[in-house]
Amino acid sequence: MAGHREEHGSHVHGEHSHSDRFYWLVAGVLAVVTALEIGLFIINEQHLIAKWLEVTLLLILSTIKGAAVVMFFMHLKGDAGIFKFVFLVPLAFATTLFLSFMVLFSDHVGIAG
Amino acid sequence: MSESSMTRPRAAAVHHTSLGVDNRKLGVWAFIGSETLFFATLITTYFVFAPVNRMRPDFQDPRKFLDIELTTVLASILLASSLTMVLALSAIKRGDRRWFTTWLLATVGLGLAFIGGQAYEFNHLYHEGLTLSSSLFGTTFFVLTGFHGTHVAIGVIWLLSVFFKVRAYPDSPENPMDVEIAGLYWHFVDLVWVAIFVLVYLI
Repeated sequence: MAGHREEHGSHVHGEHSHSDRFYWLVAGVLAVVTALEIGLFIINEQHLIAKWLEVTLLLILSTIKGAAVVMFFMHLKGDAGIFKFVFLVPLAFATTLFLSFMVLFSDHVGIAG
Repeated sequence: MSESSMTRPRAAAVHHTSLGVDNRKLGVWAFIGSETLFFATLITTYFVFAPVNRMRPDFQDPRKFLDIELTTVLASILLASSLTMVLALSAIKRGDRRWFTTWLLATVGLGLAFIGGQAYEFNHLYHEGLTLSSSLFGTTFFVLTGFHGTHVAIGVIWLLSVFFKVRAYPDSPENPMDVEIAGLYWHFVDLVWVAIFVLVYLI
């Protein structure tokens, strides 16, 4: 068929396939990170750590989780650069949007009131 | 594994763009990029209105309404579904139709379990007095999590359509890419929940 080309296997455009064992390992790490997040939440409920420390640690842990999903389950790590571009540029915009609005509106009503 | 469950590895059909990548996969990644901005807007709106909610007479405290135990189960379900999704992709790439079917239907089942759990949560919150119009918290919370739940439902329909397509055309060279792009969407939905779980429920 015109416009189609058949390529054997999954190793096209630098895409990397991992073994099923590797995916189970990643899922295990994600489960541990989720358990740590819940642990932090419970610790904070007991007022054992400062709120800013809890928030910082939760953001770090969730970033690790998100990065693992994108890199290994979505196979962005090692995939074509254009896929990284069309995802990471909007992600950078989104992060900038979120942080900018947090700076503008944190702890006061601003124009939203 | 029975011999009958094994077929030869599938040859992947690739629709090339001038960039040298599959055009459907590029389209889905671009779509995911736009969806990232969409959900970032909803999450930002939730946080912008959080302090406004606190100052209003109809204030409703998120801590009194949100059930962390149920949400932890929902987060675990979606994470597990990401694993089964990637295992389904791995199976179809090596031509193992039996395990592909198992893992894909497991993903669908986990997706349905998530939707069921969210419906239970919404129903519970409604009877507790939190509705779309009861407060700014209710509005921003239901819009954000409702849109996410809708995406999960669309994902389930997408996965089922891929399942029936592969079953109808088992030898199609398009199958691995069909599963891969459906999987990309599914993992993105999981990714959004990773953010919602921490930003809305835990912080």
